Amino acid sequence: MAEKVYELLEHTADVGIRVRANNVNELFRNTASAMFQIIAEPKGPTTQSAEEISIKLNAENIEQLFVNWLNELLSLSATKELIFTSFEVTLLENNRLEAVACGVPMEDFRINAEIKAATFHELKLERTASGWIAEVIFDV
Amino acid sequence: MSEVILEKIDDYRWQIPKSYKPGMRVPGIVYADEKLLKDICQDKALEQVANVAFLPGIVRASLAMPDIHWGYGFSIGGVAATDIENGGVISPGGVGFDINCGVRLLRTSLCFDDVKDKIKDIVYALFNDVPSGVGSKGEIRVSAKEERDILVKGSKWAVEQGFGTQDDLECTEENGAIQGADPDAVSERAYERGKAQSGTLGSGNHFLEVQVIDQLYDQKLCEEFSLEMGQVMVMIHSGSRGLGYQICDDYVRTLMPCLQKYHISVPDRQLVCAPVESVEGRDYLGAMRCAANYAWANRQCLMNLTRKAFEKIFSTSWEKLGMYLIYDVAHNIAKIEKHAVDGKEKMLCVHRKGATRAFGPGHPALPERYKKTGQPVIIPGDMGRNSYLLVGTQKAMEETFGSTCHGAGRVKSRTAAMRSINLNTLLKELESKGIMVRAHGRSTIVEEAPQAYKDVNDVVDVVHNAGISRRVCRMRPLGVIKG
Repeated sequence: MAEKVYELLEHTADVGIRVRANNVNELFRNTASAMFQIIAEPKGPTTQSAEEISIKLNAENIEQLFVNWLNELLSLSATKELIFTSFEVTLLENNRLEAVACGVPMEDFRINAEIKAATFHELKLERTASGWIAEVIFDV
Repeated sequence: MSEVILEKIDDYRWQIPKSYKPGMRVPGIVYADEKLLKDICQDKALEQVANVAFLPGIVRASLAMPDIHWGYGFSIGGVAATDIENGGVISPGGVGFDINCGVRLLRTSLCFDDVKDKIKDIVYALFNDVPSGVGSKGEIRVSAKEERDILVKGSKWAVEQGFGTQDDLECTEENGAIQGADPDAVSERAYERGKAQSGTLGSGNHFLEVQVIDQLYDQKLCEEFSLEMGQVMVMIHSGSRGLGYQICDDYVRTLMPCLQKYHISVPDRQLVCAPVESVEGRDYLGAMRCAANYAWANRQCLMNLTRKAFEKIFSTSWEKLGMYLIYDVAHNIAKIEKHAVDGKEKMLCVHRKGATRAFGPGHPALPERYKKTGQPVIIPGDMGRNSYLLVGTQKAMEETFGSTCHGAGRVKSRTAAMRSINLNTLLKELESKGIMVRAHGRSTIVEEAPQAYKDVNDVVDVVHNAGISRRVCRMRPLGVIKG
């Protein structure tokens, strides 16, 4: 699992995170990593081979694309019983995303939390002087 | 700290004036006393009450119950009704991802002395026999056709499989199946997520609790419900699992363009909505009802597993143990209901997001047995304090579209709970109160610690004193199973 790429934001009922990245591709990757770091931690070195899943998404704007990306990963994680550990964004332009998510069977992980979904509430995606920053609240 | 303007109406009601934010169509009304208000003002819940007042067609007020806390889009503990004839909208954010998250309460003929030396056995049996935890899968495997049946028939499907009785259906809101469910409005992905999760508790704040009645408030009502001091009860809190999450996510996406299409302006995109009488609104309503029915079937299956576990421990049938369902209520749902607004009967879309229906005596939606008492309302508290049985009132019909609170309401974030609460100390504290807890995740116990919640006794005091429900009896926990 990658090193911790996020900080937690206070929210009474749910879980919010702030994620930083050098560019928008990295922001999508880092937020996905952060989400799965909250959900699970590996029990030990995995003995099973990783499964690669291709994802293609369209949206009306970058923020919707961002939320759709996270929710698509949650949904795929649930149906395929995988924890995604690495992500490659191959295309991210004009509110289109093509990516590959690499997942390991859930049984190799200790599950710490269930994230039901990423929400639009107080969602932030901003370009800063030093890169990109995202804030997102998950329903847990 | 909230900067929302609050005007006192009386000791239990506070108003956010329409003038607080341009765009509010109605005022906000918060049910709380001064003590609870201090906590409520700590986060952004009141701002969310004001935001909900932007919804097209909203009538009377954007309401908040005393267990209100910061959610996403709607606050948790929010009630909003929109007038369907006048462009009233339906919002998936007003229901939430866990569609028909709800709670059911069973009585037993056991008393505290019958179980006090068996609590460990009961808790272990329930933990073992009732699938719980994140992504937990049950033993119930259904074909695609059967899954469609569940979405339409709800609890009735479970009863047809032998997982309960007709009597259980009568004691469930909507008889365990809301009409108008549209299985064609549910995505393949949602079906896939729902396939293996029937009869599973889930995680987070979901639980199964063995409780004992420790206070009676209304002797006559207790007699009507066959309840007495020291009686053992069982409470089950769960929802529609991954199927509900997927339906909500699907329709937040589907309804996003509706803001532009129907010229709707809301201050938070999680309040995305569409007119109830639009194609998009009708599709969401049809799909949401499917998830609601799935949740009722789920709680029916969970109750069946609970009865079986008790049968094993006590070596007798659940009927002989008197394990009869008192009632099952939804607390995340949107319903089409008739209510009087300004003296006129109107068909409204009532969103209850972390709020419970609380219909008063005589309401036609209630089964015959509860026509006199009013609807049973089940209020779970935290794992260390109390839970309640209440009944709905006529005043709730007049003021809150027949709605009341749904629980204690969080006061401390999960991260703050993790930082400040020690698991072993907490378990010792609970043990000293005679409460045994079993959970899959150690973090779940800490996140759900009593300190993370408001005192449910304070919350129930407000709804009782404001007259929007009446106390029947109070329970305290003996054994708790968490995901």
